[in-house]
Amino acid sequence: MSGEFDFYTVIPAQAPDEAAEIRQFLAACHLEMDGNIDVFVVARAGRRLIACAGLSTNIIKCVAICEDFRGESLSLQLVSEIVQQAAERDHFHLFLYAKPCNVPFFRGCGFYPLVEVPDYIVLMENSPVAIDRYCDRLRMRREPSDKTGCIVINANPFTLGHRYLAQQAAAACDWLHVFVVSEDASFFPYSDRFKLVSQGLAGIANLTVHHGSEYMISRATFPGYFLKEKGIIDSCHTAIDLLLFREYLAPALGITHRFVGTEPFCPVTKKYNEDMKHWLQRAPSPAPAITVVEVQRTAQDGTPISASEVRRLLASGNFDAIKPLVPATTLQLLISDYAPDTTRRPGIYG
Amino acid sequence: MKIIKEAIAGTLESSDLLVKVAPSHDDTLEIILSSEVIKQFGQQIRRVVDETLQRLGVTAGSIIIEDKGALDCAIRARVQTAVLRGAACTDLNWEHLS
Repeated sequence: MSGEFDFYTVIPAQAPDEAAEIRQFLAACHLEMDGNIDVFVVARAGRRLIACAGLSTNIIKCVAICEDFRGESLSLQLVSEIVQQAAERDHFHLFLYAKPCNVPFFRGCGFYPLVEVPDYIVLMENSPVAIDRYCDRLRMRREPSDKTGCIVINANPFTLGHRYLAQQAAAACDWLHVFVVSEDASFFPYSDRFKLVSQGLAGIANLTVHHGSEYMISRATFPGYFLKEKGIIDSCHTAIDLLLFREYLAPALGITHRFVGTEPFCPVTKKYNEDMKHWLQRAPSPAPAITVVEVQRTAQDGTPISASEVRRLLASGNFDAIKPLVPATTLQLLISDYAPDTTRRPGIYG
Repeated sequence: MKIIKEAIAGTLESSDLLVKVAPSHDDTLEIILSSEVIKQFGQQIRRVVDETLQRLGVTAGSIIIEDKGALDCAIRARVQTAVLRGAACTDLNWEHLS
């Protein structure tokens, strides 16, 4: 490393003073400090803070360079350093959010644009082929079908509401693709959620259950989804997630319709459903429009079935009340592995 | 040599290159080269990369290279390092690296 600038790392949680200085620096560059940064790489010229880049799991954020030093070797060193930090944390497939005007710069750093919310934000990844290879693998699972539906569910846990939605969608289509959100950020770990979806949808002949990916409702494409409890809704992120779906995933599988349950409770999901109609159907895009179909939620004694209600009931061990809301396979797993008094702690892998 | 995990070597700085290797999904070898001097030296860089991989016996994997105008010796060294890291190699035949 050249001696011109000093590079080092700052873990914001352990260095509040320096984190405050970074926050000020970012504000001067018209950027907000992100609360989920694991580590910052900062550069100083003498004592002056002149550049920073943050890493949140496998997403690079909060990249700022003091105006006097832009267009110099500093910027490439900065990105190299943060890529190195990611590698040390075992993250190699990286995402990055950038303003559209900064895309050429990050292109020079090995990042390639995926989708853009015009004039607002671009999602980039550090591979020119990763999304294409992913779509190649999806394409192999295409089914001969004219009207092809898709559902994306978190299923935390799988309920009769999910099954009803899938039944309605499968009946309305030639083929239905069901994706399970794979990000492990929910109460029930992914392995259990995927298993319950597969078991719970058994018997519906014209559908495929797919593993989710980083390209749909993941921390990278839709960070707000996993901050639901905090009520943080960021519309640009729903746009990124939905445009990825429309421009890459849907064409690979030939998806023409996306099905979604009406959302009476959760504001994030409700907003997501509304945004879906805009970004999948109306917004200008090189990809064909996808028809959004809202299916009225199935109700039990007048109350719509929701996974969050099941989790509330589970916390108090009220299995009698859970029983009419979930299929037998889900109930069985809840009793055996998630009863409130068992020693196993859910949310941890396995 | 088999690439069993993702790994990187190098930097994005001028006269260097960043090499990223990953296991292949379908047992093919895919090399993707992006270089600031691709028009002048693209073929030469490709040859150095191919030769280096061949000497290491790498027949499958995804190799992504961001070149910033590195010399052949730097290209060879970065590709070797990334592959050795990705292969989690502990028992090294140094002669193959020369």
